[in-house]
Amino acid sequence: MKTDDAERPNMAVSIGRLMLKNPVITASGTFGYGEEFAPYLDLGRLGGMVLKGISEKPRPGNPPPRIAETPSGLLNAIGLENVGVDAFVTEKAPFLETLDTTVIANIFGESADEYARVAGKLTDVKCVDALEVNISCPNVNRGGMDFGADPEQAAEVTRAVKEATDLPVIVKLTPNVTDITAVARRVEAAGADALSLINTIRGMSVDVYTARPRLANVTGGLSGPAIRPVAVLMVWETVQAVSIPVIGMGGIMNARDALEFLIAGARAVEVGTANFVNPAAVLDIIDGIERHLGDAGVDDINDIIGTLDCRRK
Amino acid sequence: MEQMRKRETGIVRSNRETARGHYVIEVELSGVFDVVSPGQFVMFRPGTGETPLLSRPFSVCSQTETGETTKIELLYRVVGTGTARMASLRQGDTVNVLGPLGRGFDMDKGSRLILVAGGVGVAPLIFYAGRRRAQEDGGRVRIIAYVGAADEDSIAGADRLEQYCDEVKIATDDGSRGFRGTVTELFRNDVKHYGKEASVVRACGPRAMLSALAEVLDGHDIACQVSMEERMACGIGACLGCAVRVRLDDGSVGYRRVCKEGPVFDMEDIDWHED
Ligand SMILES: Cc1cc2nc3c(=O)[nH]c(=O)nc-3n(C[C@H](O)[C@H](O)[C@H](O)COP(=O)(O)OP(=O)(O)OC[C@H]3O[C@@H](n4cnc5c(N)ncnc54)[C@H](O)[C@@H]3O)c2cc1C
Ligand SMILES: Cc1cc2nc3c(=O)[nH]c(=O)nc-3n(C[C@H](O)[C@H](O)[C@H](O)COP(=O)(O)O)c2cc1C
Ligand code: FES
Repeated sequence: MKTDDAERPNMAVSIGRLMLKNPVITASGTFGYGEEFAPYLDLGRLGGMVLKGISEKPRPGNPPPRIAETPSGLLNAIGLENVGVDAFVTEKAPFLETLDTTVIANIFGESADEYARVAGKLTDVKCVDALEVNISCPNVNRGGMDFGADPEQAAEVTRAVKEATDLPVIVKLTPNVTDITAVARRVEAAGADALSLINTIRGMSVDVYTARPRLANVTGGLSGPAIRPVAVLMVWETVQAVSIPVIGMGGIMNARDALEFLIAGARAVEVGTANFVNPAAVLDIIDGIERHLGDAGVDDINDIIGTLDCRRK
Repeated sequence: MEQMRKRETGIVRSNRETARGHYVIEVELSGVFDVVSPGQFVMFRPGTGETPLLSRPFSVCSQTETGETTKIELLYRVVGTGTARMASLRQGDTVNVLGPLGRGFDMDKGSRLILVAGGVGVAPLIFYAGRRRAQEDGGRVRIIAYVGAADEDSIAGADRLEQYCDEVKIATDDGSRGFRGTVTELFRNDVKHYGKEASVVRACGPRAMLSALAEVLDGHDIACQVSMEERMACGIGACLGCAVRVRLDDGSVGYRRVCKEGPVFDMEDIDWHED
C-alpha cells in the first residue's frame, strides 16, 4: 500500500551535479542498453541506468563458454562485446531518448586517446547524462586492466576524458589493486567528478573432470554476493580517502545489501548480477529502501548515507 | 502499451523421475503466462534458497492452458547443483519462472517431418510434434523421430513421442535398446531415403550431436533447424553470456545470443568448427 506523497521519504540523491530520483542504478554490462528490460519494468522508476561498455570500434567478444556460476557468484569473460560508439548512437540511443531516466554511458578503450574520442562522441548524444569510465576491466589483454591498476595511468585517462567532455565523469575503479585509495586519490586529483566501485574481481574456476578451465578465456571477473564484503570494505575505505561522491556496488541482491553500502558512505549504489536473477530486482530494492526509511522514521535517504558507527561498545 | 512481463511464481504440481536421472516437473502458473512456441525456453529457479544463484534455462516440453492457469512441463536431467535442487522439489513448492523466452522452431508445412533428439533434447521436440499434429490441416504429416540415449534405462520421453510420431527409432551407446551407436549414425543410414521429398528436420541435443548431424545432412537438400545450448545468466539478451558462433552473410564469423536470436537457429547459420 502506498502512502501519500507528502509522507513518503525523500529518495533523491545527487552525485555532484547529477541528480538521481533515487540511489539505485543498474550496473554496466548487466542491463544491456535498457531495451532488453523494458518489457519487465518501468525504466522511469530507476535512479539511473549505466549502459553496457562502449568502445570506439565494435568488438566481437570472447569465445564461449563466457560464464560460469561459482559459490554465490558469477564468473564472466564476456570480452567487452559491444556494437561500437557509432552504432550505439544510431541504433540504441533513439530508444533511450524516449525515457525519463538518467542514462550513464560506460566507456572504455585501449588508449587514453580512444577513451577521449568515445567520450567526445557521446557528449553530443542527447540521452547521455553522464559518463562512467571503465578503467578496470579484467577480461581483455590490452586495455582496461593496465589503466586501473596503475594510479598514474588511471589519472591520465581521467584527464583525457575530462578534456573531451563537459558531462559529469564517474571513474569506475578496479578492486584488483593493492591499495584502491591510492588510485582513488589520483583519479580525484585528475578531475573526476565521482567514483564508482567495485568492478569484478579477477577469478578462475577449473572443471576437475576435464582438467580444463570453465571459461574459454581461462580467467574471468567475479561478481555477485560472493564479492559483497570486499566491495563494502573498498567503498568504505575510498569514501574516507576522497571528497568526491562514491557510488558503491558489488553483490547487491536486495535492499538490505544496498543499505550496507549507503551506510558505509556510498551516495548511490549500482546493481549488477541481481538483474539476471530477477529482471525487476531493482524495483524491489528501491521499494525496500523506501520501506526501511519509513520503518526507521527517517524522512530523507541522505540522512542514512555515511552514518556508519564504528565506535567501540 | 504492451502488457508488462514479469518473473512468475509457479507452484510445483508434480516432479517425478521418468528414466534414470531424468525427471519431468509440472509447474502451474497464472493464466497470463504467454502461449509458448515449441523450442522456446524458460529461466527456472526454485522459489527459496540462495543456491544456485542464477536461474537455469529449460526448454518447455508441454503447455496446457485452462484459462485461469497455465501448466508447463519441463523434462530435465540431473547434471549439477541446480538440477539436483530441482529434483528435490516437491508438490506444492514454489518456483520462479521467467518466460517464454527466445525464438522457437518455425512450424513446418511439409508432408514429412524428422525429429532428431539427443538425451533431454527430446523435450522441445515432444512439444513440437504435438503442436504439429494439432495443426494438421487436411494432409497428414508423417513424423519420424530419432532418439539417442546412453542406455535403455536413460531413454527419456520416447513414450511421449510415440503418441505423435509414426515411427520412433532409438539408438543407445551400449546397444541395450535399438541401434547400437549414436543417434546421428542411425540417422545417417536412413538419410538417403529422405531425399528432397519435402522433408524437414528439427533437432535438439548436445552440441557434438548437432555438429555430427550437420555433417550427415551436408550435401542433402533438407532444411534443418537446431536448438542450441549455452550457459546463460539472464536469458533475456542483456549479459551476452550465451554467445554462439555463427556464419554471417559476408562469410565472416560472429556471435549471436542463444537466448535471444536462438535457441533455435537454421543449421547452416551455425559455425560448427570447434574452437
Ligand atoms: C535453451 C536451453 C534449453 C535447455 N533445455 C533443457 C531441457 O529441456 N532439459 C535439460 O535437462 N536441460 C536443458 N538445458 C540445459 C540445462 O540448462 C543445464 O543442464 C542446467 O543449466 C545445468 O544446471 P546445473 O546447475 O544442474 O549444472 P551446473 O552445476 O551448472 O553444471 C553441471 C554441468 O553441466 C554443464 N552445463 C551447465 N549449463 C549448461 C547448459 N546450459 N548447456 C549445456 N551444459 C551445461 C556444465 O558445464 C557442467 O559440466 C537447456 C539449456 C538451454 C540453453
Ligand atoms: C556479465 C557482466 C558484464 C559486465 N560488463 C561490464 C562492462 O561492460 N563495463 C563495466 O564497467 N563493468 C561491467 N561489469 C561489472 C559490473 O558493472 C559490476 O561492477 C560488477 O558486476 C559488480 O556488481 P554485481 O556484483 O552487482 O554484479 C560486468 C559484469 C557482469 C556480470
Ligand atoms: S543469457 Fe544473457 S544474453 Fe543470453
